[in-house]
Amino acid sequence: MGVNKIMIIEDDIVIRTELKKLLIGNGYDVCAISDFSNPIENIKAYKPHLIILDIKLPDISGFSICSETRGFSNVPIIFVTSCDTDMDELNSIMLGGDAFITKPYNTAILLAKIASLLKRVYETQKHTDYEWQGAVLHLESSSIEYNGSKAELTKNELRILCFLFKNAGKICSRNDIVDYLWDNQLYVDDNALSVNINRIRDKLVSIGLNDFIKTKHRQGYTL
Amino acid sequence: MNGKLYWKNQLSFLMFQMLCMLTLSVFLLAVGNSLDSILLILFTWILICAVFMTIACQKRKREMDKLLRLQEQLKEKYLIPELMKVPERADDQVFYFLLKAAEKSMLEHIEVIERERTDYKEYIEQWIHEIKTPITAMKLLCENNRSPFTRELLAELEKTTRFTEQALYYARSEHTEKDYSIHEIGLFDIVHNAIADNKYLLMKNDVAVNVREFDDTVFSDEKWVRFILNQLIINAVKYRAEQPKIYIYTKQRNDQICLFVEDNGIGISANDLPRVFEKGFTGENGRARQNATGIGLYLCKCLCDKLGIGIDIVSDTNGTTIMLFFNINHFIHQVQG
Repeated sequence: MGVNKIMIIEDDIVIRTELKKLLIGNGYDVCAISDFSNPIENIKAYKPHLIILDIKLPDISGFSICSETRGFSNVPIIFVTSCDTDMDELNSIMLGGDAFITKPYNTAILLAKIASLLKRVYETQKHTDYEWQGAVLHLESSSIEYNGSKAELTKNELRILCFLFKNAGKICSRNDIVDYLWDNQLYVDDNALSVNINRIRDKLVSIGLNDFIKTKHRQGYTL
Repeated sequence: MNGKLYWKNQLSFLMFQMLCMLTLSVFLLAVGNSLDSILLILFTWILICAVFMTIACQKRKREMDKLLRLQEQLKEKYLIPELMKVPERADDQVFYFLLKAAEKSMLEHIEVIERERTDYKEYIEQWIHEIKTPITAMKLLCENNRSPFTRELLAELEKTTRFTEQALYYARSEHTEKDYSIHEIGLFDIVHNAIADNKYLLMKNDVAVNVREFDDTVFSDEKWVRFILNQLIINAVKYRAEQPKIYIYTKQRNDQICLFVEDNGIGISANDLPRVFEKGFTGENGRARQNATGIGLYLCKCLCDKLGIGIDIVSDTNGTTIMLFFNINHFIHQVQG
């Protein structure tokens, strides 16, 4: 199975384009429709793996799109709306919506929801290993491997390395790393980050990776 | 009914009676009646008069007392003319119709104000929903173009979101009963979401957040609990001391799960502590900082009462701990089991 396809049905242009950018940046294939005259045809043509649906749309309601879609498909639907009354939430559940997120949403929470829905419905094996210059990061077993020797990692260390591997070759600022950790519910501050990086470096040296994480003065870290 | 005043009002009638008695006595004396018979006549007259007037007074007093009682039982006092019988006396009727007219104009007035108020409220709610779209757009723009500048902007956006949420909940808090749905929710999912809502605030102030996770589930409304937690986190940051820490954990006791939100802030003085849940109460800390609204904890308390969550606060100079008590409903577990 290839890349997951996500369809965005949202009438605000800025949100639409930015959300598209965000999702593409997170490795999804995205189709955002800008013409709401016939969304059902669009859905049938694109066959998305997941739909992000705004409730308030010009001329048509997200609820009716949802119930029509349910007529031919079981694709997971995430409702995104600024109206957070419980009537709306109830309606969305009754009509077969899978999740209900209110604006202004936290992108980390939205991405987590998308990932968990896709995982639940399609049971996709997310590629759980990252590789860079011969070093392999195993997310499932929380360890790093190089030339046959392995080192166990703590939760924090794993997440930090995960972020560095994801952005391998690029410079990751300390702030971005801390941001990423907070989004993953690890509330680490700047000092703790330094401590963790040092610990990771020690572990990397023990498996033969010297100077694997480079410090860029005043900018951050890079692999 | 004021008795003294009543008799004072009857004074003209009494004077007239006396004048009549005097005239009659003079006349009877002139025609040659004996003093005895005149005294007898006067005595009878006075007796009849006194009996008649006392009965009239009693009757009137009973009527008035009844009206007063009616009014006392009434919640909307201005509706009293609806319960009154139309009085028999001509002058009473005038007052009755005056009251009726006053009631009518009052009702019309109330209706106008009520309509304006709901209109305004609906407008506010509408406005808050509309403002959320540009906030979302701004947030996404920042997330997609990360730089130190957008980080600052995100922190400000977080504040904006918080204020709009508070306005929305304040507008709605009096009819929460129509606006909640109870689900089984993971307590720590909400805790993490609430922390995510205040991510930039916490990071900017170097708050060390420590969450001792446990997979407790409770039956409650997610967005309200999240709102309450948001308020508590904001307070912990607002009234922080050096090296701020927030510690969130749960304890189970008997039929309750207790969620602790503990900070090492400046604490609340013992004098202020009993009043922190009052509306508009800011206390020593709030006055010193001048950015306290006295609304946050009041809203928390209101919401907790409506959701059946217990809330309690302990504080000294080493910090404040707020406890939220969620009841565990064994019945639901039994039914599900």
